[in-house]
Amino acid sequence: MKIVDLLTPARIQTDAEVGSKKRALEVLSEMLTTGDGELAAATVFNKLISRERLGSTGLGHGVALPHARIEGTDRALGALLRLEQGVDFDAFDKRPVDLMFALVVPEHFTDEHLQILADLAEMFSDQSLCDALRNAADPEQTYQELLDWHGRVKQA
Amino acid sequence: MAAANQFILAIGLLLFASILASRISDRVGAPLLLVFLLIGMLVGAEGPGGVVYEDVFSANLLANLALAIILFDGGLRTPLSSFRVGLRPAVVLATVGVVITSAITGYAAHLIFDMSLLEGMLLGAIVGSTDAAAVFALLHSHGLQLNDRVRSTLEIESGSNDPMAVFLTLSLIELVQRGGGASGLMLLQDFIQQLGLGAVVAFAVARLLIYMIDRVNLAGSLYPLLALSGGLCLYGLAATLGGSGFLAAYLGGLMLGNRVRQARNDIRRFHDGMAWLCQISLFVLLGLLVTPSELVPIIPQALLTALVLIFIARPAAVLLCLVPFRFSWPERFYISWVGLRGAVPIVLGLYPLVAGVTDGRFSFNVAFFVVLVSLVVQGWTVAPAARLLGLRMPTLNLGQQLAEIDAPGLHNHELTVYRIPPRSPALGMTLKQLDLPRESQVVALVRHGESLPNPYQAPLAPNDNLYILAASRVFPAVEDALGGVSTSPEERQYFGPFVLSGDTRIADIVDAYDIHDLKPELHGKTVADLFRSLYGRSVAVGDRAELGDLEFVIRRLQRDRILQVGLKPRARPLKKAHKAQ
Repeated sequence: MKIVDLLTPARIQTDAEVGSKKRALEVLSEMLTTGDGELAAATVFNKLISRERLGSTGLGHGVALPHARIEGTDRALGALLRLEQGVDFDAFDKRPVDLMFALVVPEHFTDEHLQILADLAEMFSDQSLCDALRNAADPEQTYQELLDWHGRVKQA
Repeated sequence: MAAANQFILAIGLLLFASILASRISDRVGAPLLLVFLLIGMLVGAEGPGGVVYEDVFSANLLANLALAIILFDGGLRTPLSSFRVGLRPAVVLATVGVVITSAITGYAAHLIFDMSLLEGMLLGAIVGSTDAAAVFALLHSHGLQLNDRVRSTLEIESGSNDPMAVFLTLSLIELVQRGGGASGLMLLQDFIQQLGLGAVVAFAVARLLIYMIDRVNLAGSLYPLLALSGGLCLYGLAATLGGSGFLAAYLGGLMLGNRVRQARNDIRRFHDGMAWLCQISLFVLLGLLVTPSELVPIIPQALLTALVLIFIARPAAVLLCLVPFRFSWPERFYISWVGLRGAVPIVLGLYPLVAGVTDGRFSFNVAFFVVLVSLVVQGWTVAPAARLLGLRMPTLNLGQQLAEIDAPGLHNHELTVYRIPPRSPALGMTLKQLDLPRESQVVALVRHGESLPNPYQAPLAPNDNLYILAASRVFPAVEDALGGVSTSPEERQYFGPFVLSGDTRIADIVDAYDIHDLKPELHGKTVADLFRSLYGRSVAVGDRAELGDLEFVIRRLQRDRILQVGLKPRARPLKKAHKAQ
């Protein structure tokens, strides 16, 4: 599964203005549930929050990967949120987070869940990709950057 | 008079060239000690220098003196905290390990050189110990960061296994002289006397020395000299009484370095320099002493002996000795590989000569060649091997520590200066954000030659010099706060992308990630408990534990309390996953 397949330009926001970690997770929960009648934003939000209570999903350098397993869906979904102004995400490097990729997978997706997380973590370790995502003008360009990145990795 | 003047000039030039050679060796990556040995050989009888030096008695004296100081320094800079994880495996390696290594190598030598079994065993004992100077130097160069458990095991082993090799060598020389026939009981008694006396002398002399240094009022620069005199007394007294002088020097240095309060940093820095001087002198001296043309005829056999030592004897000894301890396979192989031989075997190679038991310089020459092979093969690959086995730990430290200064009038305090490296993860953050321990105080933040007025409020810039005053015991926490925020790709690779607190409950993790087949005894336990069940109390940063397809890696410790662990979802690397599609 390619990371970019988890997304559509509709689930990318590049100019959000939110003031807190909680609000950012709410926005991501809403993005993950639009166009999908089965899921309630509140359920997703609660699951994401309870994962954050274990320990922040911030990776450092302003990036975070909130994630959870959710009942009542049959496929993995992602949403990408970029903030104008970073928010405090309790990341261990204490830096504000402005780039977030939220991931939800069905309950039974145990192996895929870890696989996708490992892939996501590797992807967002690439500083040049993070820079490109931060500079992208709109969701379409962001989506294109992710596609290009996959193309580059495949060649390498 | 002219001869004396030229002699002084020659020594000066030799030292000068050796010190400059350290720059070259840095660049080429060659082990420094090898370079010193080669310089000695170049200056020696058959090199362009043409200096004839054949006096084994003075060489033996100087070499023992230098070794005593090197071991004393090794003890001085070993923090007692590293004993927490490394002591037990190291002690087994330094005793049983040396016997196994020596026995296997000795038996091989008996076959290879077609000599009596006893003489073969003597040769095995001579090359039996790893060298503290070589191991300390290599582990501290190349900015090589290893797991605490591996590093302290290797360091303590190399500092404490020389007494065993010396003991074996002396006992075997006695046996050869008497034509065999000593009871095992006598040997054991002798062994216990060596170690026991060594330890008792170390304890007594070091106590006295610490008391003197802390109480007596001296000119500042005399304290390190007082410590040095103590180091020589440690060796001399123990050896005179029939104990192990090397053990006494190492243990005494260890006590002094950890307990003394007055002038601790001055003492360390002075002995650091002294240890360098001793290493240079020792290796240049040994290079001078050898006659390269005498080595040529023994090359095939000596090479074979060295290969047996490196590829069979040492790995067999290490793997056997470490059975009761928890090390990963890469760690076991790495410890086997870092069985560097250095000055000790060459010096021990002189013993049979001094005692007059072997014909000519045979054992010295073989030992010399074995050390040469070990330095080239193992010394050159210490860093690449760590990388290859995935044991290189990303630095969690801020980086360059420029200076440490004792703070007079403040009990146990030090003033330490750090330089912020150009790619530090702390760049752009203020000291206020960095979570420095409360018992530490920022004295100044110096940028472009000026001390900034509000050090806590200024975002850090590359090459800032940071002056911190704190109690010695909180410096690890200071360095943690300064560097613990590092998030380089290598670090993420090693520790995993996510960070959890050590007291996270396993049940909650199972809930979030749906781990199959959870052992029932783990219910209600925390991640720290999981590590404790595997490693006991001797946990080290970099230790790993598994839970289904999740891997935990210890990131931060406070003594033996696990503060932070990395969480790593184990999966195939991204690239391979793509190719499989």
